[in-house]
Amino acid sequence: MDCGTCETAPAIQVHAPDVVDVELTLTEKATDMLEDAFGDDRSHALLVGVLSGGCSGYMYDLQIVESTETPCQELNIKGFRVLVPTASSHLLNGIEIDYVDRLMGGGFKINNPNASASCGCGESFS
Amino acid sequence: MGMVRHRAYTLLLQGDDILPFINGLSTNQVDGACTTVFTNRAAKIVDVCEVILVGSHVALVGYEPSKSTVIAHLTERILGQSISLTDISELNDVFIGTDDATYPEGTTVHQSHFGTMYIIPVKHNWEATWTEEDWTEHRIANLIPYHGHEITSKVHPLACGLGDLVHPQKGCYIGQEVLTRMRSRGKQGHRLVKRSNPVEKATTVGATESMVLERIQ
Repeated sequence: MDCGTCETAPAIQVHAPDVVDVELTLTEKATDMLEDAFGDDRSHALLVGVLSGGCSGYMYDLQIVESTETPCQELNIKGFRVLVPTASSHLLNGIEIDYVDRLMGGGFKINNPNASASCGCGESFS
Repeated sequence: MGMVRHRAYTLLLQGDDILPFINGLSTNQVDGACTTVFTNRAAKIVDVCEVILVGSHVALVGYEPSKSTVIAHLTERILGQSISLTDISELNDVFIGTDDATYPEGTTVHQSHFGTMYIIPVKHNWEATWTEEDWTEHRIANLIPYHGHEITSKVHPLACGLGDLVHPQKGCYIGQEVLTRMRSRGKQGHRLVKRSNPVEKATTVGATESMVLERIQ
């Protein structure tokens, strides 16, 4: 195979969506759970990201991080640092982060007005 | 022994975590070289692609008419990841055939779901040794589905003989819920079979036998 890497074959331009200023809300239950998770230490941040994959093409990715090398927008929501990667800002603008207290399928849930469809487990959307 | 020209595109994917990226979007377990299927949310086929390791990069070989759809399918899901795509289709000719065909130096040989695939640099001006009729008879004899015949954007992989490429236990990918439900309920609708001629609604017609996507009663 001639892979072209010895020459200067141009890479296909990956469409970069417009970066939007993200607005995001936390429900009372989600706020309570984050207070339990963070305690008094607010040096860490909640990273709200999107990965490719899942039943619907995109998957939510929630992490508590100290910092990240990923270019992010930093928000302050109810005293919490929230980081949203700029590359997925168009998918996350307007989301509400909720917490569902259930034995099965419980945990943080994201209500996303940009999602045209979600999979059954709620972790994936398109 | 022989090979037929495959109407193919070849994309070179460079960057980090290429295999997990493809794995998350397609039906097979992609942890090395393999054949896998990109499906949409309804589990209909976007394309059937070969995943080929090229040093630290990955080549994706698919059916040429599906190229722009696949590129859009992939690029809209590259979210800040360090992944680039390069179209190297014009640098290579792709052939499918038996594993004992002869080929020139510099050829990448890959075991595909369709047979042995040969990716040969265009500078060799390599020619197919099989006619389309040879390929058709070979496909019918071995029940090999092919693009534009059994494999179209209107069917799902289980219905057209690509069930081996749908991994039963891997995690989520686009269309996975639909395919898993079909399997668990035993309702995949159609299956690929060969029948003696004449065959109504045949997808591939051979000299004495044909292939058809037969409705499962």
